[in-house]
Amino acid sequence: MNTIYPARKIITMNPSNPEGTHIAVRDGMILGVGPLEDLTGWGDYRLDTTFADKVIVPGFVEAHAHVMAGGMLQHPYVGYYDRPLPDGSISPGIRSYDALIERLREIDAAMTDPAEALLAAGFDPIYFADQPRLTRHHLDRVSTTRPIYLHHASGHLATANTAMLALNGVTADLRVEGLGRDAQGELDGELREPAAMSLCKSAFREIQRANMTHQAIHYFGALANNAGITTCTDLGGLSILSERSLEAWRTITSEDSFPLRVVQYNLPAMPGAAADFDALADQFVALRHTQTERFRFGGVKFVLDGSIQGFSALLNPPGYYRGEDHGQLLAVPDQLKAWLLPFHRAGLSIHLHCNGNRTQDLAIETIEQLLKEVPAPDHRHTITHAQLTTQAQLRKMAKLGLCANFFTNHLWYWGDQHYEITVGPERANALEPCASALREGVSFSFHSDAGVTPLGPLHTMWCAVNRVTPKGRILGPAERITPAQALKAATIDAAYQLHMDAEIGSLEAGKAADFTILEDDPLNVDPMAIRDIGVWGTVLRGRPCKAAG
Amino acid sequence: MIAFTVLGGYLGAGKTTLLNHILSHCDGRRLGVLVNDFGAINIDASLVANRNGSRINLTNGCVCCTLSDGFSEAIETLLADPNPPEHILVEASGVADVRQLAQYGRAPGMSLDGIVVVVDARTLPAKVNDKYVGTTIRRQLAAGDLILLNKTDLIGDDACRDHLAWLQREYPLSRVLPCRNAELPVALLLGVGSTREPAAMSHGEHEHYATWSFTSEAAVTRTRLERFSQQLDPSVLRAKGTSAAATGPALLLQAVGTRREVSTIEHAPAGTYLVAIGLQDQLDTQVLDRLAADCFSPAESG
Ligand SMILES: [Zn+2]
Repeated sequence: MNTIYPARKIITMNPSNPEGTHIAVRDGMILGVGPLEDLTGWGDYRLDTTFADKVIVPGFVEAHAHVMAGGMLQHPYVGYYDRPLPDGSISPGIRSYDALIERLREIDAAMTDPAEALLAAGFDPIYFADQPRLTRHHLDRVSTTRPIYLHHASGHLATANTAMLALNGVTADLRVEGLGRDAQGELDGELREPAAMSLCKSAFREIQRANMTHQAIHYFGALANNAGITTCTDLGGLSILSERSLEAWRTITSEDSFPLRVVQYNLPAMPGAAADFDALADQFVALRHTQTERFRFGGVKFVLDGSIQGFSALLNPPGYYRGEDHGQLLAVPDQLKAWLLPFHRAGLSIHLHCNGNRTQDLAIETIEQLLKEVPAPDHRHTITHAQLTTQAQLRKMAKLGLCANFFTNHLWYWGDQHYEITVGPERANALEPCASALREGVSFSFHSDAGVTPLGPLHTMWCAVNRVTPKGRILGPAERITPAQALKAATIDAAYQLHMDAEIGSLEAGKAADFTILEDDPLNVDPMAIRDIGVWGTVLRGRPCKAAG
Repeated sequence: MIAFTVLGGYLGAGKTTLLNHILSHCDGRRLGVLVNDFGAINIDASLVANRNGSRINLTNGCVCCTLSDGFSEAIETLLADPNPPEHILVEASGVADVRQLAQYGRAPGMSLDGIVVVVDARTLPAKVNDKYVGTTIRRQLAAGDLILLNKTDLIGDDACRDHLAWLQREYPLSRVLPCRNAELPVALLLGVGSTREPAAMSHGEHEHYATWSFTSEAAVTRTRLERFSQQLDPSVLRAKGTSAAATGPALLLQAVGTRREVSTIEHAPAGTYLVAIGLQDQLDTQVLDRLAADCFSPAESG
């Protein structure tokens, strides 16, 4: 029997039939959207009024997130901004060292084994730039006996307390350069970069391992569901290379209650990855034949540089505004085309992580050469992050058919830092140039890069529409887009980027019955309220998945 | 203590040739090799097979982009071997931050033996100014204890002289050495395997290099050994020494390029043993004799 859902409003993202009041579903497929009388002709139906007072939009598609979003929340989160948890509650942002110490003390008090290490994640020193660095002495105020390891949001840093340093035999006579020191040469507990971080081996490994547990996948699914996402990438993992990891994904995504369609992108250039990219491309294509409704294989991702706030993105002149330039490519330019070729030839989608615009020049030049060598009229390869994309780059990307996946959440989370510290006013105003991309004809979506920022398409949309910073700046008003344009980027255009737009991304007869159920209309609320719209949950292939909490 | 050496340099500079050269001239040393690069390894397998105890372990990818502990796990795997290597050699990717990689050689139980950076003499000017990798290559050069200006046979003598002078001027903390096919004495590249075998580089092919050694039955103090290391003549490209009393912890002196480090190690043969290597026409053994006498004579207090 068919199900027909009446709703306050249904926004389809199908230009032929933009809105309706009812949507009919059969066996997980959309039969149509319209007034009730347009839908009853499909046969017997049950009227389900669960969403009668709600707004239905196409299921959100997140084209750049990581299972780490779930993995990291197995440890207490102590970042500067609020973070939604899998159970629907919020872990409040930590705005001062005192609040941090207070929170860690609570965790310490709740732990039963006095020898067990306390691991926490998400701290970001960039928000405490006006204060002395956080040191082991701060953490010693939590405990002088329990080892404590604070993993920073960037992944490049950690702070350990004295007990954690002692546990691992990390002493001041070690010459490892990433060991932070005070003026007297004593260790201050900061560990910079993996060589130093791995001195506190068990803690560092435990943080990594958390991303590979079953719990990480369950949490990932819950977080996405709570945010209204029906299809989400795990953009850059090693999952396909380990039978055990593949099995975990397959098992969990095949559970009836799992609320998310996951699209895997593999990172070939990673430790433990295959040395032979031709073989890897074949393996990937073979895996596509095994994919299921909720576990898909999209393509590959290459990380080409670092981050802007870490000063490790490679920038064209005039370079960084303040702070030392650590810009660095993470790929060998003369090899890049050869790396991409096997995947391109196999028809796999390629996502290139470029935070710096110089890195993006390399990506664009390389794709141009690739396309000359092996023409592909509909490749949809994507520059992901693409934060400092210039006008010239947009013109070129449009010609080459490259998509952009903008990290619009940066406008909020680091917008003030970009304006004041990293790239300065003009380029901060030009970050994530959505309006220009529309004008130049570059298809784009937005991302959270979760766990870097929380999963939440309403938030990434809100950033693109308002471009407001915590200090009240509007970064580049000329690059703001309308709520309708933003919703398109979060649904059908993200699906397009993943080559899934024939199946998902809009509410259209024959497509998957994937909806996001909202408490209000994102196209009609005050634009500043978009991120506060309540999410009832989703419908995934016709199955309602209510958000937690 | 496991010695740790990083071999860096951009694509095509000659890192793999250098590695193969080392593998074929490392008689008697148990080397563990980590290739921290993308894609296939080009190590001559027959070289590895023929050397006693050497083994190769590939870590694919670049530590800096993974932010994981994978590299230290790869080192652990090497050391877990029943017959573990005494020296770990890392071939870094063409864009690796070799200085960061070298920090793994400063973990407890490890001893950073050196950072060797190879550059192709033909492309040096172009590469250090390259849009994409210029700053990366300059960073690598700045980190090199030894910079090998490779393939000098493929450029003219004048160009070679100019390049050497430029490199030495730009990177005063490094020592710059010309070579062809990355051929240099292994004792210079990897350090002196054991201070009791200064003949480690007695192969006739390296007539350009000279060694100096010092032996004494007495142990010296840390202060004296540090003073000696600080006063070492710049003509010393490499030096290694140990000093120990009959019981108790020992001292280790390591010098490479312009870097000199004295550290405490668990044990060493009783007495004091020092070895230094330099260019034949530069290493002044008499100066070194005088310095040793000066620093280590019983009359000298300290
Ligand atoms: Zn990411």
